[in-house]
Amino acid sequence: MAEGRAAWLLRPEGLVDYDVANEAMHDLARRRLADEIPDAVIVLQHPPVFTAGRRATADELLWDEVTVAARGGAVRRIDRGGSFTFHGPGQLVAYPIVGLGSRPDAAAHLRRLEEVAIRTCADVGVAADRRADVQTGVWVGDDKICAIGVRLLRTRVTLHGMALNCDTDLAWFDGIVACGLPDRGVTSLARVLGRDVPVAEVAPTAVGHIADVFGLTFIDPPDDVVRPFVAAAVA
Amino acid sequence: MTSIQMPQLGETIVEGTILKWLKNEGDEVKADEPLFEISTDKVDTEVPSPVAGTVTKLLVAEGTTVPVGTAVMEIDDGSGASGNGSSAPEPAAAVPAAETPAAAPAQPPAMGASAAPPSPAPQVQPSGQPAPAPSVTMPDRGPRSNILSPIVRKLAHDRGIDLTTIAGTGEGGRITKADVLAATAAPAASSGTVTPLPSAGPAAAAVMVAPPSMPAGQGEDAQPMSHVRKAIAGHMLASAQQTARAWTMVEVNVDRLVRLRAEIKEKFQANFGVKLTYLPMVTRATIDALQQFPLVNSRLDGENIVTPRFVNMGIAVSYDAGLIVPVVKGADGMNTVGIARAIADLAARARSHQLQPDEVQGATFTITNPGPYGSLVSVPIINQPNAGILSLDAIQKRPVVVEDDAIAVRSMVYISMSWDHRLIDGELATRFLARVKHNLETWDFAEDLGL
Amino acid sequence: MASTTVESGAAGHGAEPRGKRAEDGQATYLIAVAEALWEEMERDERVIMLGEDIGVYGGAFKVTEGFLERFGPDRVMDTPIAEETIVGFAVGAAMEGWRPVAEFQYSDFMTSGFDEITTVLSRYHYRSGVKTPVVLRAPSGGGVRASNFHSVNPEPWFAYAGGMKIMCPAFPSDAKGLLKSAVRDDNPSLFLEHKALYRRIKEHVSEDAEALIPISSAAVKRAGDDVTIVTYGAMVHKALEAADTLAGRGVSVEVVDLRTVYPMDEETVIRSIEKTSRALVLYESFHFLGIGAEVASVIAEKAFEHLDAPVMRLAPPNHPVPFSPPLEDAFLPQVADIEAAVDRLSAW
Repeated sequence: MAEGRAAWLLRPEGLVDYDVANEAMHDLARRRLADEIPDAVIVLQHPPVFTAGRRATADELLWDEVTVAARGGAVRRIDRGGSFTFHGPGQLVAYPIVGLGSRPDAAAHLRRLEEVAIRTCADVGVAADRRADVQTGVWVGDDKICAIGVRLLRTRVTLHGMALNCDTDLAWFDGIVACGLPDRGVTSLARVLGRDVPVAEVAPTAVGHIADVFGLTFIDPPDDVVRPFVAAAVA
Repeated sequence: MTSIQMPQLGETIVEGTILKWLKNEGDEVKADEPLFEISTDKVDTEVPSPVAGTVTKLLVAEGTTVPVGTAVMEIDDGSGASGNGSSAPEPAAAVPAAETPAAAPAQPPAMGASAAPPSPAPQVQPSGQPAPAPSVTMPDRGPRSNILSPIVRKLAHDRGIDLTTIAGTGEGGRITKADVLAATAAPAASSGTVTPLPSAGPAAAAVMVAPPSMPAGQGEDAQPMSHVRKAIAGHMLASAQQTARAWTMVEVNVDRLVRLRAEIKEKFQANFGVKLTYLPMVTRATIDALQQFPLVNSRLDGENIVTPRFVNMGIAVSYDAGLIVPVVKGADGMNTVGIARAIADLAARARSHQLQPDEVQGATFTITNPGPYGSLVSVPIINQPNAGILSLDAIQKRPVVVEDDAIAVRSMVYISMSWDHRLIDGELATRFLARVKHNLETWDFAEDLGL
Repeated sequence: MASTTVESGAAGHGAEPRGKRAEDGQATYLIAVAEALWEEMERDERVIMLGEDIGVYGGAFKVTEGFLERFGPDRVMDTPIAEETIVGFAVGAAMEGWRPVAEFQYSDFMTSGFDEITTVLSRYHYRSGVKTPVVLRAPSGGGVRASNFHSVNPEPWFAYAGGMKIMCPAFPSDAKGLLKSAVRDDNPSLFLEHKALYRRIKEHVSEDAEALIPISSAAVKRAGDDVTIVTYGAMVHKALEAADTLAGRGVSVEVVDLRTVYPMDEETVIRSIEKTSRALVLYESFHFLGIGAEVASVIAEKAFEHLDAPVMRLAPPNHPVPFSPPLEDAFLPQVADIEAAVDRLSAW
């Protein structure tokens, strides 16, 4: 395997508050756009939160916000593509902040995110695949196991990314029409395999696949870049 | 004046929605300053300005979805003449020429004019208007899917192809000549004319249902498919999707043939100028079986079963560009020597690209011969519109149980057939193969070989 | 072919004496032209030459160096600087049974003899029934930093006059074989040598004095499947260079060299379009009404049903050839322009 481009890898422990992570991610992306920093990949877990992409409609949130709050969750409207999704404990979230070069191919970026999820699932024995006939994302049969949504800065730098359900509590997905597809379900590695599959088991191979698929060689970022994430860890 | 287009953010992304204008008419913009927000399936982005200037016109409303390459905004950048500015990432799809009428920079009418000469630049003027919309209604598969070029119309007409079943791979979804050839042609597409499939419909469409793009990454190389490769791909996929393929195999004792060949091969070559292989003998034995069971030699035409009273034997030949199936016409009138010479001639000319178009058309049945490469068992795809394809695999010495339960070493071969269950049933397929086996095990080829 | 190489043009710069081929037997375009003239002078004593400074000086580009010594002042004649007179003299000599070959220092100056060429030379046979086997030779074309009095491509003007055959070869072999055919042809002809090629293109050229290239026959200089480039003259070499690069990207380009621009070999062009279905017409004469405009019309008229995309043209604007090197580069089609045009054509 040829040496890839150097990139920062951020893997904050615990559950990282969505707003803090989101802001830190945007900050990195702006610096990446200005070519101040190399590519960066953030791999983390969030506390329960519903996020609505730009294509989400209000009626796709099935619980009112009071119900969501009562269950310990939150709702955020954000700037990525796609509809509603859920992030929470047991879900491996990866945010690659990478430059797409002078001829950006966003579709290829989506395919790479899918590829990472497919390879990661395969490593634990789950055959997941794309469903070109349905939507971007990675599926086990008719159920989505990995949601994908991306935003670009000036078409050149990527934000947001992928969320792979490891042993996510899937009951949370009852609160939304996930990805705007009412007749499709969601699943997790734990549900498919019938055993516990903690994020900690999956994360190392996922990171390896991100490096391979995106052609990156990970290096440690400076402390000041890591600090906001550590401070935001709630568990 | 620079016209800003909906950018292409990847080959598979064909349209985008204007979510929000970040600049309004009259606003000043700097180069690379975000102009508007767009949303495509799963990807949202802000689109930066390729130039500095003043926004003069918003051409579509917020919330509108337009094809990639559509002009959505105009910016006066002081350049005067209108040019196509792509928004930052160079959209691969250019605006069709028709959308910028009269925009070409005017050339000076005469050299003597006193005005300063305009900056000279080579002129490329593509196209005038796109071809007029066809009389048939084409399905909307892209902004240019209803443009049919003269050669596409001609090929469709000559070959009786329904163009509505073909999804174009050209810019904006246009059906190209290559698409028509790939969707309909036999492997010989590059040599010009080929027999159209009985129905190009579902197969042709299916060829175009591409999986999501996974472009070559690090350590991978990408090469465009050759025309021949595309033609083979279209033909094979069409067959796989249009036939109800089943498969049957028999094992044949060819001990006598092996000994006969060893004995006479030098003499045969001296007499007839071609090498003696097993293929002509198997072909001869197969022709006899086809005559016994004409349905195996038939084809479907709509709801009719067409049964030729002759055998045109297709022989699959691999060559540098791929696979081609030259046809031994009137093979039922030939003895084994005639078949051997015809196959040798066609194969040699196939490999030197000298086949005539009519020499790769009209097969009523096909034989493929992967044996020389060591294959023991093959499951070939049927050469449409044939009802079956017979595979001759490698001859091997194997221990076999002979009379009186003794075990002996014999030259054996597996001969199998992929057959179309729409036309043939298992009993017929098996009896047909049994006949081929019987012929090969009992015939005295020495006489047929003229020796 | 580097378009930035400067050739000083007129007299005396790096000239090679006639007949001197490279040690490996290869001949430059200039040597090929000189050999053709020499051999035809040897073969037929009715062949005479006239022009400004062609005798004692050996010609502006030194094509005729040594001819005066070999063939004498009756057959190698220096003339005054008077192009109209040169043409008139040649027409008169032809009527008397000679076969004159007249040289112009630059094709830009042919228009000084415009009336004699277009109303006398081109029509005299029609008018009188007397044959006028005259060849007018001239260095043409740009790309050598010679500005707008030394860079024109005059072929459209004279093709429009009718009655004259016009050749614009791209290779030494074609130049030699075509010039010999022109000298032997009983019709008047213009033989336009591309000055940017004189010393820059070299190849093995037949030494057989009877190796002729037929007039009005185009040649496929590179076979391909996806796009045809129809071109002539110096642009042939740029087209071939672009075709090499494009092949690396999987685009197979066929290059058709017209060699004779009038009367044109339409059949070779059409046969190529039948194969590729896509045509780029590349030419160095002006875009509007240039030679390529006719090529595009022929394709549209006679190969319409084989087209999978509009016929495209790539040519300089109708504008004086600029002197500034960057402007001249922008004015003339470059290899990158050709690649871009082929890309657009194949994506259409």
